[in-house]
Amino acid sequence: MQAFLNDLALMSQAVLFNIYFAAASIPIGFVLAVFLALGKASPNPIINRLTRGYIYAFRGSPLFIQFFMFYSLALSLNIAVWKPLGISGFVLHPLFMGPLVLVLNTAAYTGEIFYGALRAVPRGEVEAARAYGMSRSQQFRRVVWPNLIRLAWPAYTNEVVFLFHATAIVYFALPVVGAQADLMITAKTLFERDYNAFLHFSVAALYFLAVSLVVFFLFGLVYQRLMRHMPAPPRMRFRPKWMR
Amino acid sequence: MTDDIAYWFSYLTNGKHLTWYASFQFTIFAALMGGALAVVFGLLGATLKNSRFLPLRLIGTFYSSIVRGVPDVLFFLFFPLAFEQGVEWLVASQICSPEAIAAQTAAWPPCKEANWFLGTTEYLILASVSLGLVYGAFATNVIHGALRSVPNGQLEAARAFGMSPGQVLWRIQIRQMWVYALPGLSNVWMLIVKATSLLSLLQIADIVLWADRLGAPNFLPAVGLVHEDWRWRYYLVLFVFYILVTWLSERAFEAIMRRAGKGILSEARV
Repeated sequence: MQAFLNDLALMSQAVLFNIYFAAASIPIGFVLAVFLALGKASPNPIINRLTRGYIYAFRGSPLFIQFFMFYSLALSLNIAVWKPLGISGFVLHPLFMGPLVLVLNTAAYTGEIFYGALRAVPRGEVEAARAYGMSRSQQFRRVVWPNLIRLAWPAYTNEVVFLFHATAIVYFALPVVGAQADLMITAKTLFERDYNAFLHFSVAALYFLAVSLVVFFLFGLVYQRLMRHMPAPPRMRFRPKWMR
Repeated sequence: MTDDIAYWFSYLTNGKHLTWYASFQFTIFAALMGGALAVVFGLLGATLKNSRFLPLRLIGTFYSSIVRGVPDVLFFLFFPLAFEQGVEWLVASQICSPEAIAAQTAAWPPCKEANWFLGTTEYLILASVSLGLVYGAFATNVIHGALRSVPNGQLEAARAFGMSPGQVLWRIQIRQMWVYALPGLSNVWMLIVKATSLLSLLQIADIVLWADRLGAPNFLPAVGLVHEDWRWRYYLVLFVFYILVTWLSERAFEAIMRRAGKGILSEARV
């Protein structure tokens, strides 16, 4: 019991790194994903091909490889670019590289979700908006976007939880700086000290579960607010389907 | 020009590179074995979830929700380590003498004789099993849903023919559910393919580890070609490799879907 409480205390520091990685990458990834979804729906062949290719590449390859690739790319550019600019310590720091790669990754997945929602926006509503003489930006802001975000929100919630789970491999690919260890590294270090796999990994798993539930709760509140105009407010299903 | 080609050809076929190419077998084995086991565990989990006996149903639900609720990498690391410790504990309880336990200074295993050394093969099998367990939880949900999508009339017809519940399950329900399960299973397969990049975390010298070794900067002419940090090039190759595998799997699943969907109403073929 004492060991369990010790672990809980130790990992309460570590979980902050996971939360940081997720919190730093979700807003930027969200904005990027909107542009990616619009790009994928764009009639312009160049933009369309590029965004399609980007989304396909980042959804079709493991995040683990993406981490290694971007980190080693940044390393090999170090002497030529980052050192002269004097930002080498900043760019190569995992607290910068981690969110960077996570943003690129989650933008692709979220972009695909938003693209699916964009195609599901009722055509009649868009036509009605056009008939009212709304400009394209007005159409997007007043008709397409409110529909899109409501359609996409449940899937987006899953993606956020999945992204939070993906933060577990950040420090397996990037170097750990000093005592800045996340849940997985902490669990692994503790395991290597006393070989108690069941205790340490379960505590880490508990933290992951707890944060995932909090994310579900918060995003569920947002969903209720988004759907407040509906007669019977649809509740977010609490049984997660974590499928990317 | 020809000299250049010969030069690069000999560089790309030196011993280290050949080992790298050979190490693709670990990734492919883990993916295929993990995929097969995921379907097995998925079937098992779905059967448990469908069970009429409450504790079994709880086990099935618990398995599929807890394993999906933690990151795949956590379970992927935990299962092999826990399994190894479990076996060592079992062996230790049989063969360790009190003197040997007293002589042991390390925290684990209890005595030196109980130590179980795991090589690449053992870790590969354990990694495949743990991939199967993790993604079996996803497959459980997919198959559970697919089993319920089988038209009820077919099951009733089978019962009317006098089939026992087991026969209805195995001869009708499970045979008919594949069409409904395939889109979900294809998603699970993509997840498994992507998770095979984690093998190096279990001390398997897989493609990722070799890409790291080959690309590391080399300053000694005696070791081979002197080059700077080329790791990103090797990782780029792996990046493209995984995209190709994804593309191929997509085509393959489309073909299977077309075949499996023959003679079935088109709504099943999403």
